[in-house]
Amino acid sequence: MSAAVLLSGVTKTFGATRAVDHLDLVVPRGAVYGFIGPNGAGKTTTIRMMMSIIFPDAGTLSVLGHASALDAKDRIGYLPEERGVYRKMRVGAFLTYLGRLKGISEGELPGRIRRGLERVGLGDCEGKRCEELSKGMQQKVQFLAAIMHEPDLLILDEPFSGLDPVSARTLRLLVHEEHQRGATILFSTHVMPHAEELCDHVVMMHRGKKVLDDPLSTIRRQYDPRAIRFEPLDRDADLSPLAALPEVERVSQADGGCEILLVNGTNPASAIPRLASAVPAGRIEIARPRLEDIFIRIVTGGSAAADTEVLRAQLHAGAEPKAVPV
Amino acid sequence: MKKILLVAVREFTATVFTRAFVLGLMLTPAIGAIGATLVPRMMARSVQVQGQIAVVDPTGAVGGELADALSSARITARRTDQTRQVLIQAPESVRQVAGNDGGRAARFALGSVPEFTIVQRPPDADLKLERAWLTDEQAGPRHLALIVIHANAVRAGADGYGEYDLFVPPNVDDRVEGEIYQGLREAIIGARIKAQALDRAAIDSLVRVARVKSVTVTKNDQRQTVAGFNMLLPGAFAVLLFIGVMTGGQALLTSTVEEKSSRVIEILLSAVSPMELLAGKLLGQMAVSLLALAFYVGLGMALLVSFAMFGLFNPWLLVYLLIFFLIAYFVIGAMMLTVGSVVNDMREAQSMMMPIMLLIMTPWLFWLPISREPNSTFSTIISFVPPVNTFTMLLRMASNTPPPWWQVWTSIAIGIASVVAVLWCAAKVFRIGLLMYGKPPDFATMIRWIRAA
Repeated sequence: MSAAVLLSGVTKTFGATRAVDHLDLVVPRGAVYGFIGPNGAGKTTTIRMMMSIIFPDAGTLSVLGHASALDAKDRIGYLPEERGVYRKMRVGAFLTYLGRLKGISEGELPGRIRRGLERVGLGDCEGKRCEELSKGMQQKVQFLAAIMHEPDLLILDEPFSGLDPVSARTLRLLVHEEHQRGATILFSTHVMPHAEELCDHVVMMHRGKKVLDDPLSTIRRQYDPRAIRFEPLDRDADLSPLAALPEVERVSQADGGCEILLVNGTNPASAIPRLASAVPAGRIEIARPRLEDIFIRIVTGGSAAADTEVLRAQLHAGAEPKAVPV
Repeated sequence: MKKILLVAVREFTATVFTRAFVLGLMLTPAIGAIGATLVPRMMARSVQVQGQIAVVDPTGAVGGELADALSSARITARRTDQTRQVLIQAPESVRQVAGNDGGRAARFALGSVPEFTIVQRPPDADLKLERAWLTDEQAGPRHLALIVIHANAVRAGADGYGEYDLFVPPNVDDRVEGEIYQGLREAIIGARIKAQALDRAAIDSLVRVARVKSVTVTKNDQRQTVAGFNMLLPGAFAVLLFIGVMTGGQALLTSTVEEKSSRVIEILLSAVSPMELLAGKLLGQMAVSLLALAFYVGLGMALLVSFAMFGLFNPWLLVYLLIFFLIAYFVIGAMMLTVGSVVNDMREAQSMMMPIMLLIMTPWLFWLPISREPNSTFSTIISFVPPVNTFTMLLRMASNTPPPWWQVWTSIAIGIASVVAVLWCAAKVFRIGLLMYGKPPDFATMIRWIRAA
């Protein structure tokens, strides 16, 4: 079976800005891919090219086996970064319109809309005007519009931006359900914890270039498999026996305990019981490197702290609507 | 095609099933009805003008005649006679409504009859003081005019007959001034006839030739001529075309701006291609325009039938109205869509609409010369220049001397070519502009998009 999305040497330039630079990407069917990077990295431009909303200057792409997403639009669910509703339209009518455009038959629509609205907790909103809903409720309606035709490929561009934690959790559950149904999920975010929670594969973009394309587990293993997070049972315990162990390279203080860096080549599974016996442990776990730290490490190559802070600020910045430079 | 139709149906229903559309549709005939009924009634009930007219008459013969000519009875008689002359050429149904004697129509059209008091001044009166009297705003009767009759106004001198000077204060009603002119003409002629010892009644009957109804003869028929119909018909068709185009065009602009500003556009683009969206919107609003056009044409036909004037125009004009409407709609509509796709809100749209509105309004500037001279070089040339060719050609076709058929079909062919060209350019700008936010592009940038896309 062909990949759900296949990009080869895709390049897009707006005026003097190269938004996407020779991007190669393969998204297998059934995967959950996270497309991460700060604002302006080229995520949205790439997604718009996948959706054939804009077209690449160079390179080829294939979506669900078609050279253009236009030939497979009814099998794709898309939640754009810049999304809205017809304010005066009723929720039911809005979903009916988009459902019909997505090829759902007239007979099936009412049932799907009713079930979908109940699924997202908006069962009583079908007759309300869209403008009467809160922003979070509108986002749920938009998400429902993207999935109600049961797409094979679901592309979500910054799906959690602007959502309160409860709504974000609801949406994450829905994404998970769509994946369980068999849909391929590709979503972009600049909020790394969301990617860590949902994805099994991560693609990192920076200034139009792909800087990382690996399964999440590989990334974690590759980037810091030697760090152990340790909290002693007795908060006042002496931690010096830990540093004396031959498997331990360095012990650094952290909130409520310490972070232990094992000597290169040490198997964490064998080191953990020895650590626990050296100092009684209240909590001991392999410290998972955060995607944000990995991204910054890759992009800066461990350079000046100032660059690191700028990047971190970009990653934490909100996803504001932005102009497409032409 | 199915998606295009779905977009078209949404555009149609979202526009038509709104209070604003229904009210807008009714507004034009409502204004017309108010204009036709209420305004004349208000004029008929207008405040009667009363005031003094000072006359310096060295001949001593005009003042008395003037008092008679400007009496309420004479003014009423003159107005009734003039209205009757106009009504002669109107259809029978109009005459019945207006009243055949012309008196009621005169009261509706011209308002209350003024009441003038003629104040004779000495022949050697100080004109400087008299002029100052005009602007003297003391309580009492209004000072409406100062008339100075020339000494040779009644008896000809070496240079022939003299006339008079008329001085009026600011803000004198033009109808009052008109009455004074007519009264003066009548009074001076009366004085001259008396001076010549001629019989006024005999002269009046000699110079009076009653105006009759003319008959328009065609190859197959003959019918009563209706004054003004040949001039109003082209205008009526151009108005229909304008209303039709602007109804859909304006809705295209606002719906596109709304979809863009509410950020629903990209959701739509996930389901339809930009070209399907453009085509659907154009077709949907075309249906809206056709509905409005059908409503107004139907209303116009009903009026013609009720006034027994249905046979006065060529029904084929309706077919050409439809053809030219479609051409004008697609050209102007595509322009409106283009503007809507590149702006962020209606305020920006208004400034970009200025050149398009000027283009649409151009034929209105030349409505009279085109109607009067439909086959002049100027009329012929601009009926081949898109996008104004549609309006111009329709004006010419509805005139009393329609253009030759080859010109009509050449204009249609040029119009169709312009539709293809404008749609091609609009599609390219539309596709890029829809996802553009921030500063709207200038004309040069849009040209670059057209070349690059």
